[in-house]
Amino acid sequence: MTLRLARTGVILGSLVALAVVGCATGTKTTTIGTGDPVADRQRLMKNVGANWADIQAKVKAGAPDTVAVNAEALSLHAQRIPSLFPEGSLTDKSKAKPDIWQKWAEFQAAAKNLENRAGTLRDQAVAKDGAAVTTTVQTFGRDACGTCHTPFRVPPPQQQPAQPRS
Amino acid sequence: MGVLVRSPWRLALALLISLASLPALAFAQAPSAAELARGKYVFGATGGCGCHTVPKGPANAGGRRYDGPFGTVYSSNITPDKETGIGGWTDEQISTATRLGRRPNGERLIPVHPYTTFNGMAADDLKALVAFLRSVPPVKRANQPKKISVPMFESVFLPAWLAAFAPRETAPTAVPTSGVARGEYLVRAVGHCGECHTPRTMTMATDNTRFLAGNPKGPEDSEVPNITPDKTTGLQWSEEEIADYLGTGNKPDGDVAGGLMGEVIEGTLAGYKDLSKADRLAIAQYLKTIPPIKNKIGK
Repeated sequence: MTLRLARTGVILGSLVALAVVGCATGTKTTTIGTGDPVADRQRLMKNVGANWADIQAKVKAGAPDTVAVNAEALSLHAQRIPSLFPEGSLTDKSKAKPDIWQKWAEFQAAAKNLENRAGTLRDQAVAKDGAAVTTTVQTFGRDACGTCHTPFRVPPPQQQPAQPRS
Repeated sequence: MGVLVRSPWRLALALLISLASLPALAFAQAPSAAELARGKYVFGATGGCGCHTVPKGPANAGGRRYDGPFGTVYSSNITPDKETGIGGWTDEQISTATRLGRRPNGERLIPVHPYTTFNGMAADDLKALVAFLRSVPPVKRANQPKKISVPMFESVFLPAWLAAFAPRETAPTAVPTSGVARGEYLVRAVGHCGECHTPRTMTMATDNTRFLAGNPKGPEDSEVPNITPDKTTGLQWSEEEIADYLGTGNKPDGDVAGGLMGEVIEGTLAGYKDLSKADRLAIAQYLKTIPPIKNKIGK
């Protein structure tokens, strides 16, 4: 009887331990990137910039309906933006303004705005509506990127020449 | 009214005053739509007089804070509200404040308002700008008093500084309409680009020997780029790229304008983005003609 009780206790104990370990492992989120939020978000923004430059180049070249893939990339990147700005991630290398964390809801809304506008652009391109794409692109820089860059980023001091893109 | 009826002399006097003011009313014509459109265009070419608007606040209602070595000032309400704005000022008084930095009571404006630059604005453009300023919705917002920390700043230092160091532009008799001359006028006077992009001397006057060579200590703690055509530290974009940037905020490398430059491009009721392509190209052409100055801004 005692042995049975002890055995049951061991089994129950093991189950509880397993459950605890399982929960702990389960809550651990998978990290994408280097784990350094400043480096990761700067990398992401470079890619946002490259896609945006590509969109403009395609529109100028008369192929507005080919921007869907770039717009989709922008929309997906935008979803990740808030998670790359954890509180306290303000280093010397960062161009983020502290206002981000003081006006977090506004910052999140700005990221959502980019996601939505990029989604609209993607849909227009998928629908092969070149005229609509061209119209959206005309104000996209200011309306989608600028609404976040203007209040929340310290502008870079040097104007970079256009990078040759592969 | 009862008083007037009881006294025929007073009634006659009141009638006389009314009649005397009639011609003035008849001649004070409302500005034409073309004049207002021109005013709005000039307003946009200044970057939307953005210093007078708190971000996301009501246009032109003032209240934006500026810290300087002399203390703190807040931009003024320039809406046509009669009590708290400039609604009670005459056109001439508004022009004088804009170009010469004097309030109707003779008091000097602190040159955070760039009157030493707007001095170069042509009379016709200024007249249209004033008409436009009068046409926007009035906002009742009392101006905040400035806090000057330097003793005798306004009575002694400011007049002496203005006499000795302040650069003065010369207003053209006719507004240049095209080409590099148009670009120069827009950059030097209306757009007041030098206020942020030109470094300042120890006296805080713009150092025009290094015109547009960038300012490591720009407004609101910004590092303002060198936009002279210097090959290593200046602006190397093509004319087309500069014109595109002013119209869209898009940089050739895929980045987008932010900070104060983002604000002046977007503007408030109008901004640089509303300039015609020809004017944006004229600005770009002019920027290519200024002396290249080596001045690296930022790391």
